[in-house]
Amino acid sequence: MIENARSLNIAASLILLVGMLYILGPLYLTLATASQSYEFLLRNGLAWYPGDQFLNNAARIFTETRIPIQMFNSLAVAFSLAIATCILSFLSAYAIVYFRIRWAGVAFALILATIMLPVDIRVITTYQVASNIFSPINALLDVTGLNGVISELFGAPVQLELSVLNTHFGLIAPLAAHGTGTFLFRQFFRTLPGDLFKAARMDGAGPVRFMFDILLPLSRTSFAALFVLTFLSGWTQYLWPLVASSTPDMQTAVVGLARLLPDSDGTVPDFPMIMAGAVIVSLVPLLMIALLQRYLVQGLVLSEK
Amino acid sequence: MNAIDTAIRAAAASITVKGLTKAYDAQTVVIPPMDVELKAGEFTVVLGPSGCGKSTLLQMIAGLERVSGGKILIGAREVQDLEPKHRGCAMVFQNYALYPHMTVFENMAYSLKVAGMQKAERTERVAAVAKMLGLADYLQRKPGQLSGGQRQRVAIGRAIVREPGVLLFDEPLSNLDAQLRHDMRVELADLHRRIGATTVFVTHDQVEAMTLADRILILNKGRIEQFDTPKAIYHHPASVFVAKFIGAPPMNILSVTGDGSALRLADGQVVANAPLTGAYQLGLRPEDIVVDGKADGHAVKAKLRFREDLGSHSVLAADLGGSIVRIATPFGAEIADQLELHLNFPTSRLHLFDAATGRAIPGAFGAQ
Repeated sequence: MIENARSLNIAASLILLVGMLYILGPLYLTLATASQSYEFLLRNGLAWYPGDQFLNNAARIFTETRIPIQMFNSLAVAFSLAIATCILSFLSAYAIVYFRIRWAGVAFALILATIMLPVDIRVITTYQVASNIFSPINALLDVTGLNGVISELFGAPVQLELSVLNTHFGLIAPLAAHGTGTFLFRQFFRTLPGDLFKAARMDGAGPVRFMFDILLPLSRTSFAALFVLTFLSGWTQYLWPLVASSTPDMQTAVVGLARLLPDSDGTVPDFPMIMAGAVIVSLVPLLMIALLQRYLVQGLVLSEK
Repeated sequence: MNAIDTAIRAAAASITVKGLTKAYDAQTVVIPPMDVELKAGEFTVVLGPSGCGKSTLLQMIAGLERVSGGKILIGAREVQDLEPKHRGCAMVFQNYALYPHMTVFENMAYSLKVAGMQKAERTERVAAVAKMLGLADYLQRKPGQLSGGQRQRVAIGRAIVREPGVLLFDEPLSNLDAQLRHDMRVELADLHRRIGATTVFVTHDQVEAMTLADRILILNKGRIEQFDTPKAIYHHPASVFVAKFIGAPPMNILSVTGDGSALRLADGQVVANAPLTGAYQLGLRPEDIVVDGKADGHAVKAKLRFREDLGSHSVLAADLGGSIVRIATPFGAEIADQLELHLNFPTSRLHLFDAATGRAIPGAFGAQ
């Protein structure tokens, strides 16, 4: 739809302007407040013009808060999550597209179901499992009555227990079980000529060789796109890190930022410092997008050049 | 002739298929038991309509499809349970299936690399093949930078660089435009003459089959209808299916009834004398029908329905007792519209088929 009417152009520009204000306004408020002092905030409230205290506020983030170590946690979580998701998704999509497996359709449907049922929805059960990753096995033993037999024989039922709460693994694993990447790779593999796999077999390359020599190099842009997307989502996760980590040293930066608000009523939060923290925490994903935006677009249009 | 030609000629192996079957389950039998022998160095074209099992047959020879039963021998070796790389076959695919991220050189050298050949030898081998196929200037390009014909040549080069005993083609020309297809056909014929590899070429295009093949294997629903030279298939089709499949326009097939002395059409016109009784199918090629002329057969009356002028010849469609008969005549022959035609069916050119089975009845009109 390409219209040339002048009035339409003006209306469209106005809508765009409102949209930009809606997005950029809070951002500006953040930056402006981050560059004012706490005293300024106490006197005037949120700042509508920038001041000269940003470096001071930023320095306080590094000296007075746990944000630096929490940023390291975020980095570890986001990186591991991105890498684990890439590898898992690539392998499962490879199996689904290139091998004749019984129930492959069902498996793929189950993988897709994880998109419809994110961690946010199943957070309670996920928490239960994370608090004891053997609980499904225990439940299975109970339900099948095997535990009754075992306690008859050995005097006590089997009750295995291992908690991954408050560990990096516990932060990452539930988030990595997500079907978007598998879907992305599957769609990409489908765009490749089907005879490629046969041609490689004729050339003497087995499934593993085909994967490393042909599929992996062809999937570079898809990998980059998925890596960036997963990294960003890992960095900005809030709910799961909030419930899965209990000590400040294990929390992620986003959770840490929220915790900078004082718990008690009556005190005015140190908004300039919090805003400075928000700016610092946002820098990493910003950098990521700036570096890899080319792949983001390429990978999402799913075309092989 | 250089080293690689000789090597491929020496490697050429025969293919023997014994009782080969392919079935996905009890209902879907793609290929019922099949026996056929392809000679070493022979160019065999497997021809048939889509869904006749020709690609399945090729992929079973290649080792890309598992066989449901029977044996495949390449040379004297049973190969039906071997991996493709151990069979000594190479294949050219319909959409080329070149590796998009590799250069032409890497594409052609890949199988040698997988086989563990030294780099110097690889380079030498690829260079020889590239020279033979006129690709020497393109070795550092990616497939995306090549034209359709060049990609096709790379695919062929990738296949022959391994010096395979058997060269398999899966409809390799169907993605090319008409002109290029013609050129590639000539190139393929020339290549086969030079390297003499045992070649199995799958297609649904009868022109490719007629021009390229030493022998044509015609498949219908997985069964072999006929396996013979192009000439024999054209002049002595073994069944109605073959008769209709080969030739453009295809052979006319008419239902006739024998009364003991003559074969009659449904409207009672006599088309041939023969001491036969019962229902038959009569075949006659469009170019063998003589219009208003003298020939050694019976003349029948037909109404002209329409004509197509093709330059080299004209095709007339005439209504003969309710069924349409096609006649090829020299271009520009003076035949007015809606005219009643007197068609002469030369008895020596007639083909008789069993009405029930569709199989040819040889020698029905004396020696053929």
